[in-house]
Amino acid sequence: MSLTTAFNTAQSSLLTTATQLATSSRNVAGAGDPSASRKITVTTTTADGSARVVNITRASDNLLYERTLRATSASAGQQAVLQGLGQLQLTVGDTTSSTSPAAKLGALDNALNTYANAPDNTTLATAVVTAARDVAIGLNAATMTVQQLRGTADSKIADAVSQVNDLLTQFQAQNTAVVVGSENGTDVTDALDKRDAILSKIAEKMGVTTVTRAYNDMVVYTDSGATLFETTARTVSFKSTPVFDAATSGNSVFVDGVSVSGPSAAMPVQSGEIAGLTTVRDSLTVTYQNQLDEIARGLVATFAESDQTASGAPTLPGLFTPGSASVPGTLTPGLAGVIAVNSAFDPTVGGSPALLRDGGANGAAYVVNTASAAAYSAHLQATVTTLEAARTFDPAGQLSSGTDLATFAAGSVSWLEAQRQSASAASDSASAVLSQASNALSTTTGINLDQEYAAQLELERSYQASSKLIGVVGQLYDSLFAVIR
Amino acid sequence: MSLYGMLRTSVSGMNAQSNLLSTVSDNIANSGTAGYKSSSTEFSSLLLQTDSSSYESGSVVTDVRHAVSKQGNLSYSGTSTDLAVQGNGFFMVQDPSGQTLLTRAGGFQVDAATGNLTNSAGLTLMGYDIADGKSPNVVLNGAGGLAAINLQNTKLAANPSTTGAFAANLPSNAAVVAAPTAGANAAASSFSQKSSLVAYDNVGNQVTLDIYMSKTAASPATWEVAVFDQADAPATGNFPYSSAALATQTLTFDSYGNLASGGSISLGVPGGQTLAIDMSGMTQLAANYTPLTASVNGNAPSSVSGVTINKDGTVYATDSNGRQSAIFKIPLATVESPDHLTPVAGNAFIANQESGAAQVGFAETAGVGSVVSGATEQSNVDMASELTKMIVAQRDYTANSKVFQTGTELLDVLMNLKR
Repeated sequence: MSLTTAFNTAQSSLLTTATQLATSSRNVAGAGDPSASRKITVTTTTADGSARVVNITRASDNLLYERTLRATSASAGQQAVLQGLGQLQLTVGDTTSSTSPAAKLGALDNALNTYANAPDNTTLATAVVTAARDVAIGLNAATMTVQQLRGTADSKIADAVSQVNDLLTQFQAQNTAVVVGSENGTDVTDALDKRDAILSKIAEKMGVTTVTRAYNDMVVYTDSGATLFETTARTVSFKSTPVFDAATSGNSVFVDGVSVSGPSAAMPVQSGEIAGLTTVRDSLTVTYQNQLDEIARGLVATFAESDQTASGAPTLPGLFTPGSASVPGTLTPGLAGVIAVNSAFDPTVGGSPALLRDGGANGAAYVVNTASAAAYSAHLQATVTTLEAARTFDPAGQLSSGTDLATFAAGSVSWLEAQRQSASAASDSASAVLSQASNALSTTTGINLDQEYAAQLELERSYQASSKLIGVVGQLYDSLFAVIR
Repeated sequence: MSLYGMLRTSVSGMNAQSNLLSTVSDNIANSGTAGYKSSSTEFSSLLLQTDSSSYESGSVVTDVRHAVSKQGNLSYSGTSTDLAVQGNGFFMVQDPSGQTLLTRAGGFQVDAATGNLTNSAGLTLMGYDIADGKSPNVVLNGAGGLAAINLQNTKLAANPSTTGAFAANLPSNAAVVAAPTAGANAAASSFSQKSSLVAYDNVGNQVTLDIYMSKTAASPATWEVAVFDQADAPATGNFPYSSAALATQTLTFDSYGNLASGGSISLGVPGGQTLAIDMSGMTQLAANYTPLTASVNGNAPSSVSGVTINKDGTVYATDSNGRQSAIFKIPLATVESPDHLTPVAGNAFIANQESGAAQVGFAETAGVGSVVSGATEQSNVDMASELTKMIVAQRDYTANSKVFQTGTELLDVLMNLKR
């Protein structure tokens, strides 16, 4: 080991230490950034014994990162479902709240019973009509809320899709930087960090899986396998529906030409905000609307008037009108939105509430109380019995059939609450998994300031030692030069 | 006549030491010259005829040596065109007159006028043109086939895609798709899964290939793979494409989900070459559809954004899309006895009879060494030993001069015997 070599080695050590210190200061600067990973200076000993910086890498754990991505998607999806159900519940309330269709139905039942006990009391008749109007308005309002919620979910999907497209464009820029840098052997750690951060944001919107190719080139698929990014960003498209009614079904999200959301999706995404919003738009709200429609159909059928003269005239709507002339026999989408109180019964527009007792809103053939007896209660009692009788409901409402209308309405509220609770539990567990995974990832790849300080102290010592060595070599030369006079 | 002999001997001694001092001064002057190889002197005695009763002083002859084979330390710069050889090889360079020389001085830079890589002595680095997949035209013992490494005229041609790989797990419990499948390209065609890949045509346009996978039979598990050009896709819906499938292939899987037949698909990229996609990694297991491998070669034309040089001496141009293409191969020459090479100005050497003829080889092969990019080889002069040699030489020179002085003084005494 000659003096020149010693000099050279000490000099290379200074350079290396300076680079390591610069890396450490980058780490300290990035300590507040959750997406920044710990940068590591890779040094090597060269053939002549000196040290040299080969490249700068970053702490990474692919398995944990992928786990975090999955947890991010799952949590975002559950969050979207929970939010939608929360809004629905806020507006519909519970069975005891006066705002829910179930509570209003109960009020109608009470008023009808009271009136049946005193058929000659016009005030009680008016009270029944008022309660009926409340039920109709309540169902109308609930339908509007549900459909507005579907519209909101739809426009949120449109927002999410445009964000995914933006993010994919950004992803392409960072991916190109990573590939070019990796091929040229330059420091790509910052670009990798940025690319990871962008991918996490995409994962919030829709579940993703990735494949890494040569030179850190990343290919991104949805969790169902549709191509989102491969060399170039693929198009994610969605045509939003401005207004929803019960008969409207929303459009699908297309990734690279494949539908990935909606009932007829070829490769449906499993998680992420878009999947959650699609569940709200196409499944939960639709089921709830079916339940409302079935309640409305039950009401129309209960109060329908039948022909009393055996002349074969059809059964026609009575107190409640379904927006059409006939009484619907099957699930009619949107019925709850158009149900109204027949004006023939409504005293505020000149109708007669006594028609409840007598029948005949649809003409003379439908009059039950032909004698116009003031104390005639048989028709009212029959109506109460029908209202409280078990009915057959469409299975699309996902509630048990063969119950009476009040139980069905209460069941609808419990169904909603059960959905909300299970969504809340799922959301809690998804966010717990996310926080665990993020913590684990941050512990593995994140920046630990203590570690950095310790490393800096060590680097300082190393720098001092190298400088000392240079000083010693310099002195040796000086003594050599002193010999030559 | 030993007194005159003594004078001659001391003069030869002084000459020898001044030779040594010359090498020392050259070494010290070039201690910072990249690729400089230190010179040293060895002495041998030349004796005249002597007998037991008298001594006839002889003289000393100088033999100049060059420590060409001694590796210098590498100094890392970070410039990709700074090259060093770790091992025995030499770069082959050409001087302006066209003569091929050997050198270890690898601080190459792009010469603005010509675009060639030249070092500080103005010598041009030579290599073999291997752009577009040409194989190097090597003449083992000469400079034939060598061309100046020129980075100025490097235009990346678009490379059409020719090979690729696509592998995925196909879900084993996917439902069998009713006819027509994707390959039929009918409006009612249905499929199980779809992915897409970017390929390049002859002029470098991106062609996105839609790959449809449809399960056609459950036992034995059979899938149909159909590849379409996405440009032909209908405005709405998936089918029908305006032209038929570029290729279809039937994959069958055994009962363990391993691929039994149909491990590759070959298709003509529209406006491009025949692209063979390796699908041997396909599996059919009870898991979700998961793409595992997706790659296609080729690149779009794009300006050169950087040059990288590999350990094996291959010069790659990197375009702004990040694709690399090999454009030159830098050969390394070796000789039997490097220390006997004739040094010429500019830290270069010429092979001669004693050193043996230059043999052309490539880095990373036996006995040649490797090319280190981003570093130059420092001079192998050791300053401390040069300085100590200098001190010794100074003392020896002085001693010789004392001998000369004594000789002349004795001659004076002799002259003074006769007055």
